[in-house]
Amino acid sequence: MWDLIVTELTRATREIVASTAHFLPRLLEMLIIVVVGWIIAFLLRYILRSVLRLIRFDKISEHAGAAQLLNKAALPAPSELLSRFVFWLAWLGFILIGINVLGIVGMQEHISNFFGFLPRLFAGLFFLFVGLLGASFFSRAALLAAVNANLPSPRLISSMVRVLIVVFTLSMCFEEIGVAERTVIVAFTLVFGALMLGLAIAFGLGGRELARRYLERRFLYDDDKKEEQDELSHL
Amino acid sequence: MAEESILTDDFLRELMNVGEVDILIGVPTLNDAATVGQVVQSIRSGLLKYFPRQRSVIVNVDGGSRDSTQDIVRAASISDLAPGTNPSALRTLHCISTTHERSTENGTGLHTIVAAADLVRATICGVISPDSVSIEPEWIERLLRPVSRDNVDMVTPIYRRNKFDGLLVRNLVYPMTRALYCKQVREPHPADFAFSGRLASFFLEQDIWSQAVIQNGAETYFVISAITGGFRLTQSFLGSRPRVDHSSGDLVQALRQSVGVLFWALGKNFPTCPANSATETITATGADAEPSMEPVRVNRKRLYQMFVHGLEELNPVLNSILSASTLAELNQAAATGEDRFQYSDDLWVRTVYEFASAYHKEVISPDHIIQAMAPLYRGKTYTFLVENRDSSAGDVENNVENLCLTFERLKPYLLEIWNGRK
Amino acid sequence: MALPQDPLWYKDAIIYQVHVRTFYDSNGDGIGEFRGLAQKLDYLQELGITAIWLMPFFPSPLRDDGYDIADYRSVHSSYGTLDDFKLFLDAAHQRGIRVIIEMVLNHTSDQHPWFQESRSSRDNPRRDWYVWSETDTKYHGVRIIFTDTELSNWAWDPVSKEYYWHRFFSHQPDLNYDSPAVREEMWDVMKFWLNMGVDGFRLDAVPYLVEREGTSCENLPETHAVLKELRAKLDREFPGSMLLAEANQWPADLRPYFGNADEFHMAFHFPLMPRMFMGLKLEDRKPITEVLQQTPSIPDPCQWCLFLRNHDELTLEMVTDMERDYMYDEYAKDKSMRLNVGIRRRLAPLLDNDRRRIELMNGLLLSLPGTPIIYYGDEIGMGDNVNLGDRNGVRTPMQWDGGWNGGFSSADPESLYSPIMLNPVYGYQAVNVHSQKRFDHSLLSWMKRILRVRKSMPVFGRGSMEFLYPANHRVLAYVRELGKERILAVNNLSSSAQVVELDLQRYKGDILIEMFGKNIFPRVTDRPYLLTMGPYQFFWFRLRKI
Repeated sequence: MWDLIVTELTRATREIVASTAHFLPRLLEMLIIVVVGWIIAFLLRYILRSVLRLIRFDKISEHAGAAQLLNKAALPAPSELLSRFVFWLAWLGFILIGINVLGIVGMQEHISNFFGFLPRLFAGLFFLFVGLLGASFFSRAALLAAVNANLPSPRLISSMVRVLIVVFTLSMCFEEIGVAERTVIVAFTLVFGALMLGLAIAFGLGGRELARRYLERRFLYDDDKKEEQDELSHL
Repeated sequence: MAEESILTDDFLRELMNVGEVDILIGVPTLNDAATVGQVVQSIRSGLLKYFPRQRSVIVNVDGGSRDSTQDIVRAASISDLAPGTNPSALRTLHCISTTHERSTENGTGLHTIVAAADLVRATICGVISPDSVSIEPEWIERLLRPVSRDNVDMVTPIYRRNKFDGLLVRNLVYPMTRALYCKQVREPHPADFAFSGRLASFFLEQDIWSQAVIQNGAETYFVISAITGGFRLTQSFLGSRPRVDHSSGDLVQALRQSVGVLFWALGKNFPTCPANSATETITATGADAEPSMEPVRVNRKRLYQMFVHGLEELNPVLNSILSASTLAELNQAAATGEDRFQYSDDLWVRTVYEFASAYHKEVISPDHIIQAMAPLYRGKTYTFLVENRDSSAGDVENNVENLCLTFERLKPYLLEIWNGRK
Repeated sequence: MALPQDPLWYKDAIIYQVHVRTFYDSNGDGIGEFRGLAQKLDYLQELGITAIWLMPFFPSPLRDDGYDIADYRSVHSSYGTLDDFKLFLDAAHQRGIRVIIEMVLNHTSDQHPWFQESRSSRDNPRRDWYVWSETDTKYHGVRIIFTDTELSNWAWDPVSKEYYWHRFFSHQPDLNYDSPAVREEMWDVMKFWLNMGVDGFRLDAVPYLVEREGTSCENLPETHAVLKELRAKLDREFPGSMLLAEANQWPADLRPYFGNADEFHMAFHFPLMPRMFMGLKLEDRKPITEVLQQTPSIPDPCQWCLFLRNHDELTLEMVTDMERDYMYDEYAKDKSMRLNVGIRRRLAPLLDNDRRRIELMNGLLLSLPGTPIIYYGDEIGMGDNVNLGDRNGVRTPMQWDGGWNGGFSSADPESLYSPIMLNPVYGYQAVNVHSQKRFDHSLLSWMKRILRVRKSMPVFGRGSMEFLYPANHRVLAYVRELGKERILAVNNLSSSAQVVELDLQRYKGDILIEMFGKNIFPRVTDRPYLLTMGPYQFFWFRLRKI
């Protein structure tokens, strides 16, 4: 009996020792991977930051108004943000590889899923970034054009341009990432439809006045029209 | 791939036939059939009368007219093919024309003109606007003589203008150019001007022609680079220049042509001349720049409204261009109401300098910065009109002079904000 | 060698203008004479000319270079005798060279016996041979030609106490062509020379023969009537003789002198000459094409006489004020080169002694429609001496070799009729026939070649002309055509190399043959014919359909 216990214990101990001995190198391997990963991620961040600075990425995004957007959200400069993002992504990847090495059952499938998802995430984020930049640029262009053409409600026009572009961008982004595709499409359709309806109603109601004024100016008050043409020459 | 030439094969063949000349007069056109005939005839008479012995050519560079502009110019040629057209002419006078399809702006036109001038080795070059319907043969003499006789490199015009004419030049382009470059050039965006062959080659060699901003306002850049290049400038009084209708239409375009180029060139030339150095008057021959006083029909109320409206609507954009204090002052001034509103010289100059600095730092797209300027310029125009409503010609000149001095006085401010954070 | 019997010989002629005094002195008295000239006929034959135009050689006080004639039927003693002249004339004819002599119809010398008789008393039978008046206000407003020396067209005769009319110098009284006796006498004079064998006359100062009150006294219908009468007699009694008019007028005013081919055979084209020089300096063909466009067409048997330089100044009467100023500034910067309304210089100095320009101008002279005249010495590029008064600077002795007096005379240099050119550029040691004969590339050799080419085709003398108007205005191009013969002349008036595109569509398929080297140039196609030309270069092409 005792012998049996001793034998079992010995075997268990041996097994524990054996599995520990088996596991320890893997753990070491994982730790090495994580540390090396950190170094590689750090280097990546450093290189990316330099490259972005070299191509004056901040200036480019500043033109489009992205910098202000980030400023408002109390976020760092776009180049910093991007390099940090890449750093974490890279390191996370290494950590996951490390965990994979540990050989924990069930983990591996998730991890491979995660890596499969990465390119789509990148693409989605890229769309989002470009879209937001474009929205900012074009909404400002619309605002300036509307002001200089003396159109009514330039900010409304500008906001509409922005919203349209943002909504369109988001839908593309989500579709790319593949998150709840159907939901997003339905939601987008709803938002877009509502927006158009709202616009139609707004123009219908507000535009009545506008149309009347236009027609009056065109046909009734000729003097008014003449007055519009200033005899100013600038150059 | 070989770089595309600005000169078409046909045009090159025409230049070959023209050969080496002494004088080249360029006329950039676009659908100017109504006026170009008269202008070219005056140029021709001027050349025959004042430069009969010189070999001359009139080069029309057309932006793709759909009317008979090019035919009208070509018809002004003097040659033995059409005998008896001008028996008094000693020489053949070629009037040639070319079309460029690149853009409807005149930058390509001027590029073609200086390229042609360089190729045919013209020592005296002139550019005459097809809008200058009041041109007389004497203009040619007044513009070209300083180049031919006195070895001057650039001759800019002085026109007799209405006191409310050329307000952008009076309120911004002239004073700012003067303050920045310390040279008093009355028309930094000249419609008619002359330059030496040396300067034409200098212009041609500049690496600027692909820039969008040059497409809009190469004339202004010519003047500025002639100053910064240390070339000899002079001014010539030409006579009255009628108001040109179609250029008054688009304020933003006018801003791009003059202010845009001015700001852009500043980036290349900063810090220009030392801050508190005296500006140098440029000798003007036959100068008589006293403005004419005929009243001008302007809807001042509308001007004011567009200013206020624009200021309000553009606040977020202006916020990224102007300093907080300037913007606040502007908002404050706008809030005083039409009767009391005044856009002071001081505030205007600070506004302009902050715009220039924002343009340099490219806080937003440069073209948006120029566009954002339009409502503010309207405000300044309103003040100018109100202030000078009953002014004599001398008073107007005084006011412009005062504005110039303000620009000069505040130049240190520009230097200060140029590189600093907003 | 007998003279060909073609009555239109003057259309193919190449005329050499020479003054007997200047050419060759065979007897050592310092003045050239007919015996000397006869000795040099071989040189002229070799040069390739076909006619000699002799300047006045009649007895004369020589106050206007012989144009003041004191006896129309004799030879000035310095130049020999009538027999010497006949010998020379026969020798010239033997070599196929015709002889044109000068005939001054308008006036005589005041030393002429006719004038001496006429002035002797108011009732002398020859009184009406000249134009007399009691006042100097008759024919008021008529222009004075020699503005530098004369103040009026009238001169006071102290002998008969009346004024006499003179359009030129006051020692050259005008004959009165209203007198039938004068007309008869002058025809008699002409017959005298024609009988001797002279081939034609250059009639001097023809616009001024008759005077009428209230007119400019130039180109009057009465003058034309006198000339037509002479021509009719000439055609009747001496067919094949030629009359050449000297009338410095615009082409349109000159046209009547051809009549309906019943007045003059030839006339000088005065306005063209300064314009050739002007076109060259401007590097622009416009002056040349324009003056030829304005030149009226003339009857078929008639012909223009072209020249680059002659014994007179380069006259600038037939140009506008602006053109005259330009010509003065460009060709006579030194005021001493100007005389009357013109420039007293020879061809080579006018063209800066630039061989290319000299060749180009000769090329034009020989290819434009007309009969060319070569002034003696220009075939070797002789210079002028502006220090000699009046037009004597262009009348210095012919330079034959580098020896004593340039081979012109064995007399002492001091006794020459005129100093010979001595300077290192144009002097006889630098420029002379002997040295130029030795080399193929000399101007003289080149002149011989081009004259040979010119004579090879009658189209040069008789063909029609049509300008091509290439867009390059520095290139003067024209096609000469006679029957099936076609010649294309292309001249680059510019000092730099040029490209020219010629529209030769009408001659599509023709082959161009360069006439000097006989080389073949590409065939004419639908496309513009492209030629590149060196500075002042000219081409003569024969167009051949093969």
